[in-house]
Amino acid sequence: MASVASTETAGPLQGARRRLSGFRERETWTAYLFILPWVIGFLALTAGPMVASLYFSFTDYGVQQIAGFEETSRVGLENYRTLLEDPKIATSLKNTFVYTLMTVPAKMMVALGLAMILARIAFAAGFFRTVFYLPDITPPVAIGIMILVLFNGSFGVVNRALELVGIPGPYWTTDPSWIKPSLAIMSVWTVGGTMVIYLAALKAVPQHLYEAASMDGAGPWRRFFNVTLPMISPALFFTFIVLTIAGLQTFTEVYTAYFGQGSTGAESPDAALMNVVYLFRQAFEFFNMGFASAMAWLLFAIIMAITAIQFVVSRRFVFYQGGDKR
Amino acid sequence: MSAGAQENFPTGGAGVASPRVAHGPLGRILGGGGDDGGRRRPFGGIKNVFFLLLLTGISILALYPFVWLISASLKPQGDVFDNRLIPQEWQWNYTGDPTPVPGDEKLFALPDTPVLSWMFNSVWIGLLAALLVAMSSAVVAFAFAYFRFPGRNALFALILATMMLPGAVTMIPVYLIWNEISLLTGETGRLAFLPDIGVNTQYPLWVPNLFGSAFYIFLMRQFFLGIPRDLFEAARIDGDGYFSMFRRIALPLAKPALIVVFIFELQAKWFDLMTPLIYLRDSALYTLPLGLKTILDAQGAGGGGEGRWEIIMAGTVVTVLPMVILFAIFQRYFIEGIATQGRKG
Amino acid sequence: MLSRWRRTGLVLAVAALCAVVGTSVASAKPSQGAAVQSHTLNIYGLGGRDDVAQGRLDVANAVIRGLGHSVNNPVGGFNDQAFLARLAARDIPDLVHMGRGSIGTYAARGVLAPLEGCFRAEGINKNEYRKAALAEVTYKGKVYGAPEFTNQITIIVNNDAAQKAGVNVADIQTTNWKRLKQANKKLLNIDSSGRLTRIGFDPKIPEFFPLWVKWFGKDMISKDGLKAQLNSREAVAALAYTVGLINDHGGWNKFKAFRDTWDFFGRNNQVAADQVGAWPMESFYYNVLAEGNRVNITAKYFTNRKGGPITMISGNAWAIPKGSKNPGLACKYIKALQADSSWLKVAKERFDLRKRQGRAFTGLYTAKTTADVKIYEDIYQPMGNRDFDDAVSLLVRAPRYAFAIPLSPASSEFRQAWIDAINRVLEGRQTPRQALDQAQREAQAAIDKAK
Repeated sequence: MASVASTETAGPLQGARRRLSGFRERETWTAYLFILPWVIGFLALTAGPMVASLYFSFTDYGVQQIAGFEETSRVGLENYRTLLEDPKIATSLKNTFVYTLMTVPAKMMVALGLAMILARIAFAAGFFRTVFYLPDITPPVAIGIMILVLFNGSFGVVNRALELVGIPGPYWTTDPSWIKPSLAIMSVWTVGGTMVIYLAALKAVPQHLYEAASMDGAGPWRRFFNVTLPMISPALFFTFIVLTIAGLQTFTEVYTAYFGQGSTGAESPDAALMNVVYLFRQAFEFFNMGFASAMAWLLFAIIMAITAIQFVVSRRFVFYQGGDKR
Repeated sequence: MSAGAQENFPTGGAGVASPRVAHGPLGRILGGGGDDGGRRRPFGGIKNVFFLLLLTGISILALYPFVWLISASLKPQGDVFDNRLIPQEWQWNYTGDPTPVPGDEKLFALPDTPVLSWMFNSVWIGLLAALLVAMSSAVVAFAFAYFRFPGRNALFALILATMMLPGAVTMIPVYLIWNEISLLTGETGRLAFLPDIGVNTQYPLWVPNLFGSAFYIFLMRQFFLGIPRDLFEAARIDGDGYFSMFRRIALPLAKPALIVVFIFELQAKWFDLMTPLIYLRDSALYTLPLGLKTILDAQGAGGGGEGRWEIIMAGTVVTVLPMVILFAIFQRYFIEGIATQGRKG
Repeated sequence: MLSRWRRTGLVLAVAALCAVVGTSVASAKPSQGAAVQSHTLNIYGLGGRDDVAQGRLDVANAVIRGLGHSVNNPVGGFNDQAFLARLAARDIPDLVHMGRGSIGTYAARGVLAPLEGCFRAEGINKNEYRKAALAEVTYKGKVYGAPEFTNQITIIVNNDAAQKAGVNVADIQTTNWKRLKQANKKLLNIDSSGRLTRIGFDPKIPEFFPLWVKWFGKDMISKDGLKAQLNSREAVAALAYTVGLINDHGGWNKFKAFRDTWDFFGRNNQVAADQVGAWPMESFYYNVLAEGNRVNITAKYFTNRKGGPITMISGNAWAIPKGSKNPGLACKYIKALQADSSWLKVAKERFDLRKRQGRAFTGLYTAKTTADVKIYEDIYQPMGNRDFDDAVSLLVRAPRYAFAIPLSPASSEFRQAWIDAINRVLEGRQTPRQALDQAQREAQAAIDKAK
């Protein structure tokens, strides 16, 4: 720490010299040692397959090629050209974006709200914490049933409840305009993991900050925006990134509900076709592995771009208490 | 301009340079400077009741499928999907065939189902995998949080990048790698001194966790970033080596985060179906979800089975219940562990 | 409290213990046998092990063992990813079991071996199989699977509902579409608050759409599987009609929402609970009805415009992958599994079992004409319930009238194209003609690309 401080007060030359000598520092080599486990795993199990899938995206890799009955032949950019031509790609990407836009802010807000309430409940907090985490470990078979039963357009509890307050509920599971919202709701329902992270972050905000703010005359909203949010911003940042990446790759829940063995297999609403669902279908139902690989790398590029934007945008908003350079 | 710039923000709050910095580890780790364990004043009177009611309402929603599942597992075959929460007729499906025909008990004994083996496998693989990934991810994450070294940002970006490629397209190449390893190890391979590792074994289920995982590395890095560097400087000045500094200071402070990682990974491994499905061939090696799937295949209506849904539901409950219990126990520990830590000293 | 060192040590010890115990338990392998010529027949993909399956497996296992070989047949349904992984690793199973739809796809991709040689060697007469079942696994003139089960579709009429609605059961038929539409309207019931409480006639689209097109005598794809015919005049008309039947209920949303509430497999199923008038359904459902609460039903054929019965079938089949190391043994296994004697054996056992259980035996439909007939004549005995006895006699003869959709180089994409089209129409986003035009384009493009 002291050395970095001196970097700031010393001239830029000294800083440059520090960076250049990086490789000779013991610190550097120790760091590399610490990272070694990941690097080994990456080289052994991850790098190869990633490069392989990139290679396959330029080939006609399919079942025959996998089984070795036919040579894998290069097809240049044909798969990528098809990406541009296939209307289902555009549909699936649109669906995925809309879904992610719906689900990420909703999940974060609901999780934060629940966490804030739970942080201050004086009674049965442990019970509620467990209960709200349950959806995260509910098996898809039970979730699928629940969706059909609760969200049934004519007889489901949700619509009956809405009726009580005079709102005619939509046909959640069949109306294309309501399928994505129902998927988003299902996703928000599994908010337990995010809630747990926020709960820990909230519990760590020092009480005296709130007291100081109140003494300065700040009301609950000011306290929230000026104390709570900044103090938990690292957790918010983390969940923002991770939930977005997960949302853009969403597969299991959607597939189980609308495309897999849980459904009759004959309903495949376009509105629920997410990008990875379509990818899976191309790879394992139509056996167009090369094309699926191209789809995967397209998605990769998109996610990379979005994540980079998120990092840049969040720079201004995230405070790390421990890492200051004063 | 490095990612380090993010850490440079002047913090408005106290608790960084103050002596109270040693308290509330998770708090600091997540960005706060907790000094009282973060215990907020609980809601008073009416507000308390209101929020309790709200929470209860939401709890019903969270609990509904569970209650449905448990109730379905206690019904006879014809009633499983009858949409009643309370069974009209009760039937115990958890220990053996509930409705054997006299003289035919063996006929419908669930074939080839070493359920205890499956449970044992899920337990030890889950525990091992969770332990390994927590340790390895912590080590790697610490490097990114604390050290300055060339290529730090590029490497971290690479780690994040591994989360961005859908797993479906790397599944087969990864399988082929394990297949190669199978050929090299075991009795007939060139590295015969090693036991048989690879496909048809359980190694692919937990060995990758030796190397950390991008998600947990990211998580722990955030946590470590919250620890004030002064603590480490103090240790360094005392002549501590880097690794012992990590072990003696960073790890204990990150304990709650480690527990979060442990629980998340244990749960992920416990319910994972895809990996065991592809790598395991011998039913004695199966994990619980895979075993459950074979029961589903064998007893579901479509698969030529009798449609014994009640047994499938019972199997599902058996799979889920341990995780529920585990979480119920652990969540108290790490959430309230912060308060305890905060009170210390 | 343990000191920090001890705790760390304990954690590491536990981890190590887990690893050691777990892997040693798991990898304890029996020593290799010494027999040089003994082969192991590796089978993949048979999930269901009920009495009908197990009885035949016992016969086949005995045959293989009698020759001095062994059988490895783990329980587990067929899974595409796992199968692909094995192919990639050149760990090819000797014999696989999968749905007949999948056989078509893998056969078209050159992963399976034709079975003519196998049939000749073992004296299996392929004409003993139901024509339509064979057609489902025939690609470019070669047979790639040995079929089992037919799941033939017949119309189940709920007599009680018909009576309540004042509809003549004879009018619930598919030859005269006008009369069917009227019967549908009378059978369906919407209560005072606008909720659907009984479905009249469920046309079961998208699933059974090919039946409705076949009503015209028309196929959805050319016989060689190379030209899609999804937007023919007849297909559009069939789609318009069936969607009309559904819309008479108040629209797809209402229709499906109501149908989702049925206790489909239970005692209080939709027939017993007076929630449906009639609909086409696979043969296994008669079992469900027989075991549920008391019902009055009539089984009928789905008939085409000329009044002749038609039906669709589906089921599983055994196939030998290219690269199988024991094709000869695999073929012997198939022969033993599907010999008429094996089928008769398990049919008798099941019949006796049902008798002991006091449950109904609604027949066994094997995809082999010879076996079906023998089972019906020698083993089946009337149940004393006329409705079900009549149903069984219909079911036995139904596969004769079955047709199959010819396989194409892109069967999965082809099927998905028309399923998507029908869903779009049901959702109200396109007219039948628009939807099927689009499906035709998509399907033909996929076929052309895969040729």
